[in-house]
Amino acid sequence: MISREICKKVLQKAVSTGGDYAEIFAENTTKYNIAMIADKVDSISDAVIAGAAVRVYKGMRSVMASTVDTSEAGLLRCAEQAAEALGQGSAAMDIVLRERIFGDIHPIRTVPGSVGSKEKVEILKAGYFAAREYSNAITQVTGNLLDVDHNILVANTEELYTQDRQIRTWISLSAVAEINGETQTGSCNPGCRMGLEMFETVDPREVGIHAARQAVTMAGAGYCPAGVMPVAIDNGFGGVIFHEACGHSLEASSVAYGRSQFAGKLGQQIANEKVTAIDDGTIPNAWGSINIDDEGTPSRKNVLIENGVLKSYMIDKFNGRRMGMVSTGNARRESYAYTPTSRMTNTYIAPGTDRNEDIIASIEYGLYAKEMGGGSVNPVTGEFNFAVNEGYLIRNGKICEPVRGASLVGKGSEILRNIDMVGTQLDMGQGMCGSSSGSVPTNVGQPMIRVSSITVGGR
Amino acid sequence: MDFNGFKQIVIEKCAQLGIEEYELYYQSAASTSVSAFQHEINQFTGATEGGVCLRCIVDGKMGYASTEALTAQQAERIVEKAAENATVLESEEQVFLCEGGQTYIPLEEKKGAMPTTEEMINKVLATQEKLYAADPAVIDGCQTQGVAESCEIAIYNSKGLDLHSKTDLTGLVVVAVVTDGQEMANDYQIKLAQFDAIDADKLAAEAVRSAIAKLGGEVAPTGQYPVVFSPEAMSDLLQTYASVFSSRAAQKGLSKLAGKEGEKIASDAVTLVDDPFHPDAPMPRNFDAEGSPTYKKNLIENGVFKTLLYNLKTAAVDGRKTTGNASKAGYAGAVGISPFTLYLAAGELTEEQLLQKAGNGVYINSLGGLHAGANAVSGDFSLQSAGFMIENGRRTTAVKSFTVAGNFYELLQNITAVASNLELPGMAHFGSPSVLVEGLSIAGK
Repeated sequence: MISREICKKVLQKAVSTGGDYAEIFAENTTKYNIAMIADKVDSISDAVIAGAAVRVYKGMRSVMASTVDTSEAGLLRCAEQAAEALGQGSAAMDIVLRERIFGDIHPIRTVPGSVGSKEKVEILKAGYFAAREYSNAITQVTGNLLDVDHNILVANTEELYTQDRQIRTWISLSAVAEINGETQTGSCNPGCRMGLEMFETVDPREVGIHAARQAVTMAGAGYCPAGVMPVAIDNGFGGVIFHEACGHSLEASSVAYGRSQFAGKLGQQIANEKVTAIDDGTIPNAWGSINIDDEGTPSRKNVLIENGVLKSYMIDKFNGRRMGMVSTGNARRESYAYTPTSRMTNTYIAPGTDRNEDIIASIEYGLYAKEMGGGSVNPVTGEFNFAVNEGYLIRNGKICEPVRGASLVGKGSEILRNIDMVGTQLDMGQGMCGSSSGSVPTNVGQPMIRVSSITVGGR
Repeated sequence: MDFNGFKQIVIEKCAQLGIEEYELYYQSAASTSVSAFQHEINQFTGATEGGVCLRCIVDGKMGYASTEALTAQQAERIVEKAAENATVLESEEQVFLCEGGQTYIPLEEKKGAMPTTEEMINKVLATQEKLYAADPAVIDGCQTQGVAESCEIAIYNSKGLDLHSKTDLTGLVVVAVVTDGQEMANDYQIKLAQFDAIDADKLAAEAVRSAIAKLGGEVAPTGQYPVVFSPEAMSDLLQTYASVFSSRAAQKGLSKLAGKEGEKIASDAVTLVDDPFHPDAPMPRNFDAEGSPTYKKNLIENGVFKTLLYNLKTAAVDGRKTTGNASKAGYAGAVGISPFTLYLAAGELTEEQLLQKAGNGVYINSLGGLHAGANAVSGDFSLQSAGFMIENGRRTTAVKSFTVAGNFYELLQNITAVASNLELPGMAHFGSPSVLVEGLSIAGK
């Protein structure tokens, strides 16, 4: 993408006003998305994203300048802009760049860009029409098949010069069902850090059926009652509870500035001792995985909470300076135009020892949240929310009728203590997580858990 | 190369491939952002981004391809790719490019130059100090951010359209973090205006006051209550449900407003307006993402539904004219539909009178999880909320960690009163006065 020689000159320029660290991040990304609605291929977007950013640190200050002009002159102008913003003065640093290859633990067998549109349309259609034909109650289906080929280069004044290629594939199907005038939706959105071989293990028809089944179930459901009750949250995307209730508050972007409910709590019991939580960007071919983060630090498996005790935060280089801690390989950015910061990768609650049937049987009256939607959190207070896309009432230890329109709200520090049963079967779900450094792919996951008491928003 | 040079190569390549109908959409933004933590500047960002999207009609289908790299090679690539992508499309809906030679409402010249970096740093540091000075409850964690952005859009097409707009935006964002020794709370405030016109004292005091008001709140009691939504909370709801006013959503069975023009869909108190020229909007627009002229319109007038929002394609499906609401999420996205500045028109009552009318209920000034807890197709919502109890017509105890649940279509019918305090928070894309809604479900303790 950009030669070592040019990187060297750009870094020299970047630190020319006294910066103590500089970095170049460049990317060249293609995104190809096929969209279907009303049984037809409706639109295709086909985009190349290309640009670079130069960052310079001086102590606790960080400056970033970005550009779409990745020529040598464009990059030098960008570095000059960053250097000038940092301050006046003149300084020089000996820049040595050694190329490093960290290796790729995510084999890709079919690079999506090497396959024609027709083949991709076939895959999308298989899922689309499986949803469409699931029931007469299905009134509309929308579908998207997205593939991303993200090539990054990172060079910095700590001698690093490296590149990585990140390929992802994602299918999303949403169905609308109408029963007796009541309209509800269902969706299913699996993704992998894989090429099109993803569809050898993920059958697009099952994705479509999943979405349609959920829409039909919910269209026939009554409203979820409101109140405080125990909730069993199933595995897979259910892990969004940890992502919102705790994960964001463990990111250095909140912790370093005291804007987190868990700042200063390392080594303390912050969760029920049944809870062990992990962020692991090294799971082969998982949606949230990375070989290196966007500062060039290799990704790793970080135990965040072990038996309820806070063990680690998720840290990037810049915020790590303020915390006096090293990067945990969690620096991420949507693109060169965003300033990277600490973000989650694949974050999950580790398997426990409770059987699913025991968790359900333990609840006299409560909610079984089979599928969760997205959520959000205020990391300062820990107040979070997330939506239940498919829920059922539990009476006398048995799963009963489906209920719609539920959401769960609470305070992270309280809810983590209320997770008092943890199942054995870990599964993950895929999402796009939005925060200050843009939208990045993340996995959430958990086995089935019981939250002994939480506010269920219904009507 | 610049956009004009890139455009010439695209024009030649289209001629070579026999593509007669095409459009180039160019968008570029240059932004500067300065942030302070504790008492000094800790982050500075100067970002330039943007790109070009080519749309071309091949055999009646609209192909797209886009790039951020303005090179000769990419100019040729997007023509080839857009033409190739068109062949995969199946939709039989007729596609259109905007006709040239139309009349546009002139935009008022905005006065004032962009701030220099030094001016931004000074304003940000001064505002940050005002946060600390506002109250002893203020702690580290507070942040002030100054933003200045110039955005340029150009649309050129084979039908003689050649439009260009450049808009500037400047503003301050403040985050106040406070503690009472037991717990922390925060609040953020955004003010978009020329830097010298921003009252930093007022902005900082408002953020600190709002943050302190959130400390020590109780959980609201579960039940059915009259609810007063603050201007900010109601604006958030309007934003979440704006898509129900899209003709595309209606045509595809994703909005319950399909075929409801002329019908009463809301209470008499509701008049909903879309105004591309609203004086509070930082980026007024006189042409939409297809190049059609924009204009101000009522979507709902005294409860009667007047019109959906259209672009060229959806207007043709319904046999009518576009409302000039074509939109794009970024330069590369497919042309969709969205309002410019959508707001609920002000009523007559003061907010105090609205609270008196509510009697006993809940005042909600903050909603969370709108992207997840609200469904635009069914209209159902169940949302994290914070605010105050209303007792005997007055705001009393602060309440938080509860939800409000209902249905947007029903809510429109159940707005029994609208106050006069119209506000357009944040980017001023959406606005509302305080509104009183009967019979919503609150889930708390």
